[in-house]
Amino acid sequence: MTHFEMELEKLKNVIIKIGTLAVSQVGESVKALLFEPIEGKEVKKTEIKIDKLDVKIDEICQSIFALQQPVASDLRFIMASMQISNEIERIGDLAVSVIKRAKNIKEKHDLITKFEIGDLAKEVELITAKTNECLSTLDEKTIAEILTLNKNIKTKGDEIIDHIIDEMKSHSKVVVSGTNLVIALKHLERISDHCSNVAEYVYFMVNAKIIKHEKHDDLNINLDK
Amino acid sequence: MRDIKIQVNDLSLYYGEKKALKEISMQIPANKVTALIGPSGCGKSTFLRCINRMNDLIPSVKITGEMLVEGVDIYDKNVDVVNIRKKIGMVFQKSNPFPKSIYENVAYGPRINGLKDKTQLDEIVETSLRQAAIWDEFKDRLDDSALGLSGGQQQRLCIARTLAVSPDIILMDEPASALDPISTSKIEELVHQLKENYTIIIVTHNMQQAARTSDHTAFFYMGELIEMGKTNAIFTKPEKKQTEDYITGRFG
Repeated sequence: MTHFEMELEKLKNVIIKIGTLAVSQVGESVKALLFEPIEGKEVKKTEIKIDKLDVKIDEICQSIFALQQPVASDLRFIMASMQISNEIERIGDLAVSVIKRAKNIKEKHDLITKFEIGDLAKEVELITAKTNECLSTLDEKTIAEILTLNKNIKTKGDEIIDHIIDEMKSHSKVVVSGTNLVIALKHLERISDHCSNVAEYVYFMVNAKIIKHEKHDDLNINLDK
Repeated sequence: MRDIKIQVNDLSLYYGEKKALKEISMQIPANKVTALIGPSGCGKSTFLRCINRMNDLIPSVKITGEMLVEGVDIYDKNVDVVNIRKKIGMVFQKSNPFPKSIYENVAYGPRINGLKDKTQLDEIVETSLRQAAIWDEFKDRLDDSALGLSGGQQQRLCIARTLAVSPDIILMDEPASALDPISTSKIEELVHQLKENYTIIIVTHNMQQAARTSDHTAFFYMGELIEMGKTNAIFTKPEKKQTEDYITGRFG
């Protein structure tokens, strides 16, 4: 393996590492939302680790750009890595925000059950895990699954939020918890969006085609090489 | 590639029994920079020398196929090789100024072509030096020996000397490989400016130089043209795996 290839391998490993930490943070946030408040120390530690890795990725990319002048697939990998790192760092931050919101939701169990939030939260956990998986496999089928999951999460999330708002309109005592829940759900939707962005960057890395800001309405066509 | 300057059809070149270029077909657009890249011995310099029939000087060389410059096959028996080389200038890896003054180096070609009028010669020398972006550096020392110049200045003088005979096409065989980064940058900038009036074909081992200076890039390997396309496409999304492996440094 050449020195350059070792640098690329190092970058890949750091990307997978930051992705794994994000999966863990999202897992904790779902736990906090669906069950009981969690101890915040570990989450805080992981958040700091993610931030450090995000900076490390920027430094590795900067160094490769300056010293190796990458082209073609290498160039796409470095460009995508910088973007992916940024997306994952945001996923980590949003997960922490969900945990904070979850603390302010009273009679949580009733609300979670009533609005069937469990399924949605599990889907967000799933999309995060699949996103981390596609970082190492670069598998196009997984990319397509992520993009579809994101659409479902968005639709389902918006429906639930509408129901919560209706509930708040008729029962003022749920306004505080309901508002926190709506914000937490919006954070989960954003996490899913960031996962979808990561999938788009992985697609770009593999196929040299930029698909961000596309609708992905017909995935079979859009994901064709 | 609407305006084609050079059309190459099934061009093969043999050094004795050895086939050094294998059925090369390509189109070189006018007023653009085309870079030829590939590992040592791939045939890119041999191909470049085919464009002004420099390989004619090697006795064992046999060439088949067509090299059409503005529609005329330069290997046709009726074509005058001297006229070809008037139209197609060449700059080499090592700068090779004549042991004469700066002025005489540039005036040499026009003089050989029969121009004697001093005013016209002065004009050509100034214009050529200006086009080569060295007039300001040299205008007060035109009588100095060219051999006293730095490598970078000598190379730009050689480009000015090439321009003085008003070619249409300029062939450059690794023109900056022996130069420092500042001189290299000046040559590259010059190439960029010259393409407005000339068709330039440049052989380089420096991938970044090819990427920076050229509009189109052709990748040669073992005498074959593997891929040719817009430089932006070649360096971001090459079609062929061999091209990708070469430009990313994973060849062989």
